[in-house]
Amino acid sequence: MRVVIAEDAALLREGLTRLLEDRGHAVCAAVPDGGALLAAVAEYRPDVAVVDIRMPPTHTDEGLRAALKLRQDFPGTGVLMFSQYIETSYSAQLLEGGAAGVGYLLKDRVANVAEFSAALERVAGGGTALDPEVVSQLFRASRQRGGLATLTPRERQVLALMAEGRSNAGIAAELVVSGGAVEKHVASIFTKLGLPPGESDNRRVLAVLRYLGPAGA
Amino acid sequence: MAGIIIGAPLTRWARRNLLYCGISGLTGLLGFWIMVVLLAFGLTISASVLGTVVGLLLITLTLRLSRRVSALHRRLLRWLLGYQIEAPPRFQPGTGLLGRLDRRLRDRVAWRGIWYTLIKLPVAVIQLYAIASAVCGVIDLSYPVIWPLFNGPGLGSGHPLAVLQPLPFGGTPHVSSWPATPFAAVIGGAFVVAGVWLARGIDLGDRALIRGLLGRSTMAERVSELERTRTLAVEDAAAALRRVERDLHDGAQMRLAALAMNLGMAREKLDHPDSETVKELLDAAHRNAVDALADLRDLARGIHPPVLDSGLASALASLATSSAIPATVTADIATRPAPAIETIAYFCAAELIANATKHSYANQIKIKIYTERTGLLRLEVSDDGVGGADAALGSKRAQGSGLAGLAQRVSTVDGRIEVSSPAGGPTVVIVELPLRA
Repeated sequence: MRVVIAEDAALLREGLTRLLEDRGHAVCAAVPDGGALLAAVAEYRPDVAVVDIRMPPTHTDEGLRAALKLRQDFPGTGVLMFSQYIETSYSAQLLEGGAAGVGYLLKDRVANVAEFSAALERVAGGGTALDPEVVSQLFRASRQRGGLATLTPRERQVLALMAEGRSNAGIAAELVVSGGAVEKHVASIFTKLGLPPGESDNRRVLAVLRYLGPAGA
Repeated sequence: MAGIIIGAPLTRWARRNLLYCGISGLTGLLGFWIMVVLLAFGLTISASVLGTVVGLLLITLTLRLSRRVSALHRRLLRWLLGYQIEAPPRFQPGTGLLGRLDRRLRDRVAWRGIWYTLIKLPVAVIQLYAIASAVCGVIDLSYPVIWPLFNGPGLGSGHPLAVLQPLPFGGTPHVSSWPATPFAAVIGGAFVVAGVWLARGIDLGDRALIRGLLGRSTMAERVSELERTRTLAVEDAAAALRRVERDLHDGAQMRLAALAMNLGMAREKLDHPDSETVKELLDAAHRNAVDALADLRDLARGIHPPVLDSGLASALASLATSSAIPATVTADIATRPAPAIETIAYFCAAELIANATKHSYANQIKIKIYTERTGLLRLEVSDDGVGGADAALGSKRAQGSGLAGLAQRVSTVDGRIEVSSPAGGPTVVIVELPLRA
């Protein structure tokens, strides 16, 4: 997998590069700001770009704006946004153009190398990867209390994992249950919440997020 | 109690007050007559059509004079009685002929000065009266001793001495014989005591007048000053918090993220042991942890240095030891200021030392901190370097500079900064803070 990294802290930039190269991915470029990111993506056409939200010059949301531009100009490149804190409005902006090839993770997640790598692969493959923290905030803020209350605890877990963008196989692996059990849960959830069934993974992310509330979509 | 009243003339404050009465009274009288004459001429001349310009010029002259005279009175009060009344803001001249005229005529500080000079007349009269009383009293007191000079053997008797007394009534009693002189002495003593206490009273009144009319500001001005400094204080606090957040984000948080990454990678490597790489990763992780600790420690010190808890003297001493340029500290703090003031003083000193280290090429920095009798804390930081710092304070470029920021922070607690830094040096910066915020 070919990756471009955009991160202004040199220490983290090098660490990420090493982490990804260790896993056998090719880091085409590691740049410190939004302008260099767009140039690098234009040049190398990677499968996915890992983008820090806070970058120079203003250290507010340069990364987000660069990411939105990337989604417009290079739809074949997945974008994984990276931040030290969660800002749900940012995730909403990212998902506006659809959930395919989009991710939003906390920097804390790099602590678990396997998970981070899996999320990156999902995004590169056109899927979605939302940080569990984002999802739990959405759940907390959701006004669909009534609907959510009808779900069993297991179903809520499955719903959360769906919102993160995982596939049925991923959910099965996470919860250590069989694929068939997951499918049953998913079907039950969709019926109870009245969501359109039979969607692909990333469309169903959107459906779930739209259901949960305004911050999601 | 009686002892305090009667013994008053022998005290230092009595002498100071009498001296002040004399000098201030005379100045007041002189000032009154000059101002009244100028003002009267100015007003009457400008009332006539022909003389408007001349009249207005005279009035403007009077107003300018009034500011000088006010400054003189404040200075007298400070030199002789030791009370510091803060001067009002400097005059800002307008632009253009009409603009300048307009600003001069609307100079409220100068008009208040004129009011003071006018009210000063009765005050000055009483002040001179007090001195007269004391002088008469001293003369009368001396009669038992000087009687022989006038009436001794050989000079004959029958030269009665007039008992001087300042009251406008009661005539002038005389003493005609030496045994009667003690009466004169007693009367004299009474007048001395009365004069001294009158001097003290009227001087207190004069001081109140000066503080009210010639001091920093009236209520309205005070309110707008407080509003301005409150805005500064709030912005200062917000900016400080932003700095903390930024330092945390770019410092400790980043290092801890790198630490987590390195540990995660090391753990992965343990499945397929490659001890060189694992050691490398763990070393990197360890470095990240140590650096994060250092960052957090610096950040905490930037928020509140623990050494401040043992007092300003030791806090400044520790600043001095860690200064690149050799620095000495002299401290004489009689009463411990409020913690907020101590914090401001500490960070002022730190900033000034850093400035000196960066810009002054000095060989030696001297830090003095002491409390003044008038309830102020004074911090003096001086260096023998190349100077030029006061240019920085006044210029527009200095908006974000350290000195301007210090001046703002100090003004939020009604403190003052005075910079004396001629090109070529030496530089002396004085920070005055109240003891309580």
